[in-house]
Amino acid sequence: MNHYAILRIVTKLLIPYILLFGLYVQFHGDFGPGGGFQAGVIFAAGIILYGLVFGIGAARRVAPAPVVERLIAVGLLIYAGTGIVGMLKGGNFLEYGVLAHDAQHGQHLGILIVELGVGITVAAVMITVFFAFAGRERTE
Amino acid sequence: MHALIDILSCFCLLTGAIFSVLGGIGLIRFPDFYARLHGGGITDTMGAGMIILGLLLQAFRAGVDPQLTDATITPWLVAAKLLMVLFFLSITSPSSCHALAQAAWQDGLKPQLPNPPDARNDD
Amino acid sequence: MTESAATQLATQLIVILLLALLGATAITIARMRQLWAAVMLTGVFSFLGASWMLILDAPDVAFTEAAVGAGISTFLMLATLGLTSREAKPPTGFKPVPLVVVIVTGCALVYGTLDMPHYGDPDGHIHAYPDPSYIVKTNGDKGDPNDSDGEINLPNVVTAILASYRGYDTFGETTVILTAGVGVILLLRRERRTTGQPEPPSADANTGGPA
Repeated sequence: MNHYAILRIVTKLLIPYILLFGLYVQFHGDFGPGGGFQAGVIFAAGIILYGLVFGIGAARRVAPAPVVERLIAVGLLIYAGTGIVGMLKGGNFLEYGVLAHDAQHGQHLGILIVELGVGITVAAVMITVFFAFAGRERTE
Repeated sequence: MHALIDILSCFCLLTGAIFSVLGGIGLIRFPDFYARLHGGGITDTMGAGMIILGLLLQAFRAGVDPQLTDATITPWLVAAKLLMVLFFLSITSPSSCHALAQAAWQDGLKPQLPNPPDARNDD
Repeated sequence: MTESAATQLATQLIVILLLALLGATAITIARMRQLWAAVMLTGVFSFLGASWMLILDAPDVAFTEAAVGAGISTFLMLATLGLTSREAKPPTGFKPVPLVVVIVTGCALVYGTLDMPHYGDPDGHIHAYPDPSYIVKTNGDKGDPNDSDGEINLPNVVTAILASYRGYDTFGETTVILTAGVGVILLLRRERRTTGQPEPPSADANTGGPA
């Protein structure tokens, strides 16, 4: 019997809920405590838990390093892209009011998209830092 | 009716607090690592569980008497969230205690037994 | 629901207890020689800080502090400790000059806080500016998001300020996080012999379990 059977089973039970909770915190940032930063950290914690229990190799297959590193930039591009789209539609940089038919709906849409960009960047950075630290051997 | 729920929830909260304190004392005063883990386990399960049970009773009371709370809180949603917290606590805390004991056993730490058995099979 | 004097006293007692625990934990961390225990105590410090921020009615900050400080930060320090030594080197001797500098700076800071308004003072500067307040600008005159009076109408005013009124600052913060990630990649990435090959699984992949 594998030594770590209990931990593996419990982790397999919990990781979907952790990722789901991260998505919940991300998209309910408008209505309760939450937002992009917290959601990114929680999402990365789920991937880190998987890497701790099942090994770095399995975690790298789930979140390959090239994909995660490109996601760091994609998140910030989403944020800046929202600002540019606002400029293309006639407003100032990062003016959300012109994004939709109504100023209020535009604000809601803009806040949702920029928080998504922040969440993606934070999650990708945390996963990258985890891979950078965890994959090394002892130096002394 | 409300007084009964209040008394029950007060009893649950106090019991949870007492169990947490007992677990903390055990965490410090027990002689052996594995015995100290028992103290940690009591804090996680009985302490947190009874406190959440007391809070569930308060949410239940707010659910049956809407004048007592703010209009913006839905007590049944609060009760559902508390149940989910209880579910996660009851899964993660014992498994983290198990992980600690497992790591100590793998490392070779043996418990202090008064009468060590003659033959012991390692699993 | 009006807060009675007993509730306020209880809240103040809890805050004083939490701050005392924070101070005691900080002193213990500074004096602790075993580094594993010191890292665990920093996790405890972050949790206590998160509880304190929750009592100060700041759930967003408490959330972030608990997730980042007690979760990711503790884990990263433990991962670093796995690569270096387990015990701090002994102090080389008593140095009076840093102690004097720290005491003087601390006294100057405490003297500076004597001028600040009391916590929650309605005449404080923080409540007078900006005018109208962000709550009114976001949610209308009564601060109710269901009125559709304000500009944004979100229940969470913190997110509205963070993402819309001060969206440029959040843009800069995200760029800082990206820079930190790029710095980690530049400094800590091991050299690969040929491009396009994935890095070989390292030593701890064989154990297949938690350290």
